[in-house]
Amino acid sequence: MSRNQGMDRRQMLKLAGFSAAGLGLTAAGCGSGGGSNGPVTIRHAWWGADDRAKKVQECVKLFEKKHPKIKVKTDFQQYPDFWKKFNTQAAGGNPPDVIQNAVTFLRKYEAKNVLLDLNPQAKKGNLQLEGFRAGLEKFAEIDGKLLGVPVGSNSMSLVIDEKVFEKAGVDHSLGWTWDDWYAGLRKIKSGQGIAGDSGPHGVMYLYDLVLRQNGKAFFTEEGMGFGENELLPYWTEALARVKAGIYADQKKVEQIKPASALAKGLSAGEFTWDNFSVRYSAEGKSSYSLAPIPTTDGKKTGQYLGSLMLSGTARTKHPAEVATFISFMTHDPAVARIMGYDRGVPATTAQFEAFQPTDAPSKAIGAYETEIAKAGVLEPITPHPAGADVVEAAFLRIAGDMSLGKASPEDSVKQFFSEAKTALASN
Amino acid sequence: MTHIQTSTSGPVLDKDLAAVERSGPGRKTRPAPRPRGHRENLTGYLFMSPWIAGFLFLIAGPMVFSLYLAFTDYNLFDSPKWVGLKNFTDMFADPRWRQSVKVTGWYVVIGTPIKLAAALAVAMLLAQKRWGQSFYRAAFYAPSLIGASVSAAIVWRALFSDDAVVDRGQQLFGIDAGGWIGDPNMIIYALVGLTVWQFGAPMVIFLAGLKQVPRELYEAANVDGASAWRKFWSITLPMISPVLFFNVLLETIHSFQIFGSAYIVSNGSCGPADATLVYTCYLYDQGFANSRMGFASAMAWLLLVAVGLVTAVLFWSQKRWVHYEEGGR
Repeated sequence: MSRNQGMDRRQMLKLAGFSAAGLGLTAAGCGSGGGSNGPVTIRHAWWGADDRAKKVQECVKLFEKKHPKIKVKTDFQQYPDFWKKFNTQAAGGNPPDVIQNAVTFLRKYEAKNVLLDLNPQAKKGNLQLEGFRAGLEKFAEIDGKLLGVPVGSNSMSLVIDEKVFEKAGVDHSLGWTWDDWYAGLRKIKSGQGIAGDSGPHGVMYLYDLVLRQNGKAFFTEEGMGFGENELLPYWTEALARVKAGIYADQKKVEQIKPASALAKGLSAGEFTWDNFSVRYSAEGKSSYSLAPIPTTDGKKTGQYLGSLMLSGTARTKHPAEVATFISFMTHDPAVARIMGYDRGVPATTAQFEAFQPTDAPSKAIGAYETEIAKAGVLEPITPHPAGADVVEAAFLRIAGDMSLGKASPEDSVKQFFSEAKTALASN
Repeated sequence: MTHIQTSTSGPVLDKDLAAVERSGPGRKTRPAPRPRGHRENLTGYLFMSPWIAGFLFLIAGPMVFSLYLAFTDYNLFDSPKWVGLKNFTDMFADPRWRQSVKVTGWYVVIGTPIKLAAALAVAMLLAQKRWGQSFYRAAFYAPSLIGASVSAAIVWRALFSDDAVVDRGQQLFGIDAGGWIGDPNMIIYALVGLTVWQFGAPMVIFLAGLKQVPRELYEAANVDGASAWRKFWSITLPMISPVLFFNVLLETIHSFQIFGSAYIVSNGSCGPADATLVYTCYLYDQGFANSRMGFASAMAWLLLVAVGLVTAVLFWSQKRWVHYEEGGR
């Protein structure tokens, strides 16, 4: 650095003075940006894969065209990463203005005053609450506060590889039982040589249905809705099925993540949300369809309508614009034509009628939702207690570890309840 | 306080080399300090002020706060509740925490020596004068520049999956074990491989050390008819032991802090079956996914103490195996 050595102290101070002046100018330049009549910018974040991001961004462009005074900045991650980021942002007082949300997170963030009550905005006319199907507008109302507006409804379902099921000669119809299902799995294993199921015993929402078929539920409003006595036999039987090859090899399932085991041909069936089946057709080579959830008594599936929703955050400086954006996303017919059934069957009649599915997976979802609605098997759902998201993640992880042979069912069950207790207490 | 260090190569290097100069052979005595004016001191502090401000507000402040949080129940939203030592007793009772200690310990104990051995071996090859040596030095250093990046970890995940390069390779030898990524017993070795591959930084330091070994020692050994191994063991190793010590210290501390590669190679799960649940990964998960910031702070401080102890032990062990040259040879 020979040049610096030649510079004396006065020159240096001059230089410092200039830089300081430069900083001041920059600061002044920033200050003029926040005029009251300029466009308002809100931030919208969601979780999901790339194809959802493309669709949402298309909707956002449309929204900005119709509302030139509102700009929407977008951001998205995969599900677990989304919540880590949101949690940190919310704790730091700088969450996005509008987020995609689910029932698991309502109480958690309501208790922390993170979510915006949208009722006042509805009264002011910024948010339209008419025209929702089947009372869905009340879906996210807790203690008189409207904490979210559903964009679509979905239900837990069984997605199957149609070709494998056909070749194996396994029939499925509404009201079939778990015994029928397991007999089918054995038939698929012996006949087709592959696992019939990706491994369902870590899926919290499926176990919730199994419990509901027996008059219980995964969560009560305050805590856990079941005990070790219920989970131990469930996981013991599951481990036996993993060992028998009826459930997919967890080692292989781990490696193809985040792709699904069903789409990659590691199994012939998977319990998941019905709107995900759109994704399987894009990811996999076979043809996929939706089958009814097996039952305990031949009647009750335990299913309910789940829903993705849009929520505002309480610290937003632009609640009116937030409400306008949510209203647009839930009612505008053009949005429905772009989004399709990506976030479930549209929640408003306007959007429901605007999108007529033409592709096979979407048609199947529409038919599935109609079928279970007609069968009258749907039950109401209560918002999960705070910390439910952590419990859900632990359930999935511990079940997976057990499948890998790392722990006995007894130890796994104990570990799960110990983690669940901590999660519900500390959130 | 979460010290998650994912990049190491660039900025650390200058410091490394400076430290090598300080501790290496041929140490020079400093010129005697001359008295300085008050104003000159002030200017000095003025120039340091960005760093001092950064240190106070971005490092010291948060560290002190996290020390306080370590004794509280803090979920990021509600104000921290004092719980005394509960976070620490919870930690020792937590099987996942014990798993994370085990995984990290294993990683440090296996990964660090192999990495240093590889670095030293390559440095010795590159120390010889031959055509194109600067190209080779750059080529071998390159992995440690990109190794800390996310993309390298993603490539690593792809290499070690089912039916990928490594799996095919072992199939050639009749080993049908499947990919390492889904195997709880193997995935840690994929991580060790990733860190060994990034031997560039210690290699450069070894290279600097090797260059300082006086040639006449080898000439004398040649006259005595010493074997190559004998020369390595009796000349090279003692002569570069200060550099070796420095590398052991740096790499050990660095290994304790592994986060990025474990997180990415396991697709963010630190699995399967917690096989890559390294300490910082569990810390991150507890703090940010489970909102247990008090617990995470306690974990962070315990890591600091543990790393401090290991460092102290290493410094203490110096007496036995590090040879500093005092007053000429």
